[in-house]
Amino acid sequence: MIRGILFALALIALSLALVVPAEAVVPGGSMAEVIQGGLADPQALAGQNLRGYTHMFIAYFIAWAIIFGWVISIARRLRRLEKALRE
Amino acid sequence: MSAKIRWTGAVLGVLGVALTLVLHWMVFFWVPTERTMGVVQRIFYVHVPAAWVAFMAFGIVAVCSAVYLWLKDERLDMAAVAAAEGGILFTTIVLLTGPLWGRVAWGTWWTWEPRLTLTLLLWFIYLGYFLVRSSTENPQRGKRFAAVVGIVGALDIPLIHLSVQWFRSLHPAPVVMRPAGPSLHPDMLATLFVGLGAMTLLFFSFFLYRYGLERVSQGLLHREVAEGRTPQPEGVLS
Repeated sequence: MIRGILFALALIALSLALVVPAEAVVPGGSMAEVIQGGLADPQALAGQNLRGYTHMFIAYFIAWAIIFGWVISIARRLRRLEKALRE
Repeated sequence: MSAKIRWTGAVLGVLGVALTLVLHWMVFFWVPTERTMGVVQRIFYVHVPAAWVAFMAFGIVAVCSAVYLWLKDERLDMAAVAAAEGGILFTTIVLLTGPLWGRVAWGTWWTWEPRLTLTLLLWFIYLGYFLVRSSTENPQRGKRFAAVVGIVGALDIPLIHLSVQWFRSLHPAPVVMRPAGPSLHPDMLATLFVGLGAMTLLFFSFFLYRYGLERVSQGLLHREVAEGRTPQPEGVLS
């Protein structure tokens, strides 16, 4: 009985979790107004708000460093275990 | 590790890396700049996909944990552990990239507003998931306790989702799934979906390898116990 309830609650939680990204929310408005042109466009760059430029690069660096670190960690643990299995 | 897991993980990983390269081209060269926040808004394309993957990972933990308590299938516990580890890492990304954006957009690194606080709570709950696993002498009992933490922890996800509607929050209303349609610029929406795809593929690739690692680890433990090299822990191989 308790297991059944736990299972149902987990399914509900998962269903709601799947909805969350679709309702992605961001700090600072609707993001409907844009300045055309990517960062590489010098003409567009002149009219852009460059506040927090370094923050953006640090954020991307952190994100990929963490993901890359996870890969390295998995690979090292796996190599160690497979070596132990062979011995 | 089985060849099936290895190859599926490799294919998903290659696709994920390819999509990640496309994402970076879109973020830095293609997508337009948001007028109010400026270039710092581009953190959106890594922050939101990381949150999506974290919530999905914890959803997997909850479902696998619930079925594990029901069927006692060790493979489900291994899948839950693999997903929980990924979930913690992606929540860490969310918790680190958010303040970098918030410092410019809100003028503060951190504020104890409901969504931020509940996300931090989520991170601590799944940290507790791993602490609980290793806190009992009987590994089976530790797995069962951790499964309960995994299920209860997932209940925080709908709270994070609904917190912006229930409480006063710095996070604004939804911008994608709205009754009136997305308020995002179409190019931004496309970039967001590429980000979601890239991170989801990478997560499942690494999740499979982490799951394979757990299976190898359990296999090694079982072999050592069978050969008498390791004393049988209470509850193992039961």
